[in-house]
Amino acid sequence: MNWSRAEIAALAGKAARGGGAPAAQAALFGQAVAVHLARARSGEEVAAALHALPGGPIVAFALDITRLEQARATAPEAVVELSAPASLLQSYFEAQGFVIHERPPPSGILHVGPDQSGSGARPPIGRIDAEGALIALMSDLAARTFVPDSDASRRAGAGAGLSDND
Amino acid sequence: MFPTRLSFLRTLMRMLATENAQITRPVWEICGAGFGHAVYSLDLGGYTYSLVAVSTRLAPEDRTDRVIATAWDTAYVLYDGVPDVGEIARICDTAPKQEAARFTDRDLVLSRANKSVRLFTHVVECLRAGRQPDAAMVRDIGYLMRTTAVYGNGKFGIADRAVIDTRPGLSGPFMAEMLTVWLIRHFTHDLVEHVGQGRLDRALKRHLGIGNSTGLGMAPFLVNHPVLLNNWMMARETALARVRAVARLDPDQIARLCALATRAAQHLSEWQVPDAAHQRRIDGLRQDWAQVLGWVTPENMARDHAIDALVVWSQAQSEDVQELVVALVIEPFPELVDGLADCMADPLGPRGAPIADTGGVRAVLERDAAWALDVDYAAPEQCGQFWYVSAAKQEPRLGDRFAEPGAALESPLDIARRLKALHTDLPPVPEALDDFLTRHPDHLLAVTRARLAGPYPYGEIRDNLIARSCLPIDMLRCKLAFFGASKFDPKSDRWTRITLCQGAPLADELTPRADDWWLPVFGQ
Repeated sequence: MNWSRAEIAALAGKAARGGGAPAAQAALFGQAVAVHLARARSGEEVAAALHALPGGPIVAFALDITRLEQARATAPEAVVELSAPASLLQSYFEAQGFVIHERPPPSGILHVGPDQSGSGARPPIGRIDAEGALIALMSDLAARTFVPDSDASRRAGAGAGLSDND
Repeated sequence: MFPTRLSFLRTLMRMLATENAQITRPVWEICGAGFGHAVYSLDLGGYTYSLVAVSTRLAPEDRTDRVIATAWDTAYVLYDGVPDVGEIARICDTAPKQEAARFTDRDLVLSRANKSVRLFTHVVECLRAGRQPDAAMVRDIGYLMRTTAVYGNGKFGIADRAVIDTRPGLSGPFMAEMLTVWLIRHFTHDLVEHVGQGRLDRALKRHLGIGNSTGLGMAPFLVNHPVLLNNWMMARETALARVRAVARLDPDQIARLCALATRAAQHLSEWQVPDAAHQRRIDGLRQDWAQVLGWVTPENMARDHAIDALVVWSQAQSEDVQELVVALVIEPFPELVDGLADCMADPLGPRGAPIADTGGVRAVLERDAAWALDVDYAAPEQCGQFWYVSAAKQEPRLGDRFAEPGAALESPLDIARRLKALHTDLPPVPEALDDFLTRHPDHLLAVTRARLAGPYPYGEIRDNLIARSCLPIDMLRCKLAFFGASKFDPKSDRWTRITLCQGAPLADELTPRADDWWLPVFGQ
């Protein structure tokens, strides 16, 4: 089974929240995971990040994004250089529209900066094949954000009657 | 709010008319009782799209508009291209299952609709008897079927919006969804004529739009898409500013304004809802509109800056009058307004203003979010509600914080409260933002919203969405007005029925006249 990018982003975001991540960090994680898996990068990194909650990369990488944005407040062309970063961190920057390239010669040092073209780097379009175990992990965590159904909730929560005919 | 010429359905219809789009029906496998499937195709922007419609038997006791429904009268997929036999079979199997099935990236939109039991049966019986349906019933109900969800952008495996968002015709917000709704309307006409073995009068058919039941799901969408919301509002406000700047109207524009004001009065007289409180509000608007008619005369509109004067006058009237006046004055100026439709999407995503330190955050909050900072969110009336997602088909719901379980799983839609909480925790001496957020990671959401406030001034709903006084129906109506909905029929403060495409051109009416259906009146 394959997935749309929007599905993966939503599921991963809810999974992060279910694992204890704050809302904005969870949203950033969701966007990053969609890019990460669309580029066929390691699903194990994604699972490891979720297992590390309430700390770990999901909180730390959001701060990395913040630091770059912070630097751009005074220097719009500010960049960061990452030495042998986790590919998930690369996905984070790509998901936010930053452009990444490796400094020559092949150095393992990535140069991350704003998109100079001004057109906005578009994340890859295409279906995502994610491992069943990762989907199951994310689904289980996401389910922690759902409030159990009840008669009272069903009657009043959405404002409609149990049956609505016209 | 009311629909305007910037509404998405209006934009779509103009586009279809410009391209002289033709609907074909390559497949019609519907039995005499109205069950089976059909395929409609049309070309738009150089691409071919097809609506696959599946009609199945549904027991009356199973018919419900709730998200938690599991069966419907009809199900639909807007398909990218023309489906072959295999794809049609796949969609006929999966579409009726809706959220319980998986779809492919050739499936652009997924939807379902239930019959208006009152009207569908009546129309069939009349046509079979060789006569037209009761005109008053058609006028008052206004649709044969009612969609209860129209899914796009990757849900349940359908195509991501990015697949289509650069295509001419579908690049605007919700264009694919609006195309789907318009084609569904076409199908409902064909279906009732097929089952009724007769032809509907054209004017009656044109008045039959598509109903829709809209619940709470639209409200979180508006909160979670501040750039889109900003762009919609900015387009509308820019349109209003442009028409207010018109120094003098020509005779055609004056005549048009007067005619539209009269049409609005007729539309209001035909707008009847069962709920007494809402009907009183509509009646009040109808009475107040008489004053607008007294203002919008050839003599008054011939004066300098007549539109600006009208808008200024309306600011002393009710909110409903103000909003309807805004929609009215925008309508006669396609050359000033229609191009703004190209500015209503969000192709680049959020581009918040970078902020270096907490001093910068404080300045932004006090400049752009002052509306949120003066509320005591601990007071029960200010935090009495909470938004959540139910385990039942992930239906969005609104709960009573002090009477219901689940507040610990509250959805992060309490933006105003978060903005104030951020402001409260800012250090007196500015420090680097990443240091602050290391200590207060929960504030990243509020910081993100603060960064958006400057570049996107209309992106935030300036209200406390968890207050007891919060009425989600107002948010639903806002989004639905941008869709092009009319005849709002609130059933509670949390969901409403509306009509889409009422008065819209039929498939063989896509001409330049195609755009003149703002606030449709019966028989027009």
